Amino acid sequence: MTELHDDPLALEADLPSSLMTVNLGPSHPAMHGTVRLVITLDGETIVDAVPEIGFLHRGFTKSSESSTWHQVLPYTDRLNYVSPILNNVGYIMGVEKLIGIECTERAKYLRVLGGEISRICDHLTCISAIGLELGAFTVFLYGVEARELLWDRISEWTGARVTTSWTRIGGVATDLPPGFVERLRESMPRVMELTHEIDVLLSRNRIFYDRTRGIGVLSGEEALDWGFTGPCLRACGVNYDVRKAHPYAVYDRMDFEVPLGERGDTYDRYILRIREIEQSARIIEQCLEQIPPGPIIIDDWRYALPPKKDVFGSIEGVMAHFKLIMEGIQVPAGEVYVYSEGANGELGFHIVSNGTGKPYTIQVRAPGFPILSALPRLIKGHAVADIIPIFDSINMIGGEVEQ
Amino acid sequence: MAQALVDLVREGFKEAVLSSHSHRGDEVVVLRREAVQDVCRFLKDGEARIQLLRDIACVDLLTYDTEMTGGGALASNEVPAYDLAKKAPREPRFQLAYNLYSVVRKQSLRLRVELRSDDVKVPTVTGVWRTADWWERYIFDMFGIEFIGHPNLTRILMYPEFQGYPLRKDYPTRKRQPLVAELDFPDLVRGPGPGPGGAGVPMSQTHVGRKNVDPTTYD
Repeated sequence: MTELHDDPLALEADLPSSLMTVNLGPSHPAMHGTVRLVITLDGETIVDAVPEIGFLHRGFTKSSESSTWHQVLPYTDRLNYVSPILNNVGYIMGVEKLIGIECTERAKYLRVLGGEISRICDHLTCISAIGLELGAFTVFLYGVEARELLWDRISEWTGARVTTSWTRIGGVATDLPPGFVERLRESMPRVMELTHEIDVLLSRNRIFYDRTRGIGVLSGEEALDWGFTGPCLRACGVNYDVRKAHPYAVYDRMDFEVPLGERGDTYDRYILRIREIEQSARIIEQCLEQIPPGPIIIDDWRYALPPKKDVFGSIEGVMAHFKLIMEGIQVPAGEVYVYSEGANGELGFHIVSNGTGKPYTIQVRAPGFPILSALPRLIKGHAVADIIPIFDSINMIGGEVEQ
Repeated sequence: MAQALVDLVREGFKEAVLSSHSHRGDEVVVLRREAVQDVCRFLKDGEARIQLLRDIACVDLLTYDTEMTGGGALASNEVPAYDLAKKAPREPRFQLAYNLYSVVRKQSLRLRVELRSDDVKVPTVTGVWRTADWWERYIFDMFGIEFIGHPNLTRILMYPEFQGYPLRKDYPTRKRQPLVAELDFPDLVRGPGPGPGGAGVPMSQTHVGRKNVDPTTYD
């Protein structure tokens, strides 16, 4: 004590400090899967961060190379396991592009319908996780209730909540079950009500606003440079949505808007997802109104399995069935890159065929992969406590990033 | 659709463009590998306005011609080593595909670079698009393609001790990897490990339940 009194400057002197390295993850409840962040801290300020991925690598490409074209479908479920239908549709569109066929009219509507339900589930997961990890547990419960309602509908429809494997080359596997449209029309108002609850709980909440506004800012140009797509890119004000820029399936017949952010910060990425849920709900309603009756899969036995009546009743049917099962669908040789709007951005598949019953190679452009690579750029200079909201708002899904 | 982009590249780089074609609506330009950086820089800054590098993909053409047709759901697509040895390897063996997109023009373009198996080196494009950083690390990790000038060319999905390049077609699907010796980290529960090169058997080998098989053989 006496020393301090003797030297009045000692109280003002800088504390000796050194850089500290902290590991966040790979098994941390807020890391959404298994990602490790090696962070260098100066006090509480982040000086450097290195994301380390690969803990969830299952060899998607290598497994695909020894599977038939349809056997790859279950692997795509497990890329982004929150919105599997979007992955199913994205992959099967690639195979159809390679073959040069189109699915039936009704199947197109069903794909859009299933995709938009999945997109709502994915966005709900993201925004409720932001709430949860910033201490708003109620928001998480609302989000999970809404998501559960939609997953119930999906499980009635496809037979599984998240491992749907629901598309087929030339169409889809299952039609809407009886009474589905009515039940979905009952569920959707509740989902929107819960989304609205989240909106009013968080969007104008002082604590939430202060913790997300101006945190993790990126300009539009820089976001493109880092390979951002989807909500994270649109939050920076760049209007690029595959559904509008290159409409696939029946998106050209849907009336919806693409919400844009202004500042490209965590708050914009959050609020954009709420606005997108509202637009997806509009698309769902239009799908239910416009959906035409008809077959859900094409009537071409080179690519689609014949109906059981024909398999057991005609020689052509049993031959087609045998060939498809034993040899697989023969996809012409070629190389395509196909892209669709996944929940977190552009989901791309680079597919190469050498004309056999199995893919030669399939490489996936997971939307989260480039976005995660920019995480150090986003969190540098912020405090430790800002990592979690930033990391939540980019909504990295371990399954697709690490394949 | 994107023929305009192909013409732009062809006009700007007469020497560098080997060929161009279109397949299922995808425009492809095959480039000399020395020109990759210049062409990418030209496409990004010039009137093409290609701001987005979607991804970089790689195709190993080693078994492209030999693969069994069909074989059913259960058969493996793998080509046995003795079948590979019988035929001359396909050259150039590797194809790199740069999938590009211009948000302003709403047009896509794919650049392709072909690499011979004895010289798997290509200049990096990290200076043009920052997102190329991780894609190039991914290709290096999976195919062993070396990107000259990359700031941090290390494995990204696999661990540093991983041997071989898993997405090459001559890497067997079921190949086993050697166990990695335990690092010399102090362990609060078990005490310090023996460390690499230390005396005795590494703990990681004594504690695993399965037999320690020779990693070069696989079933």
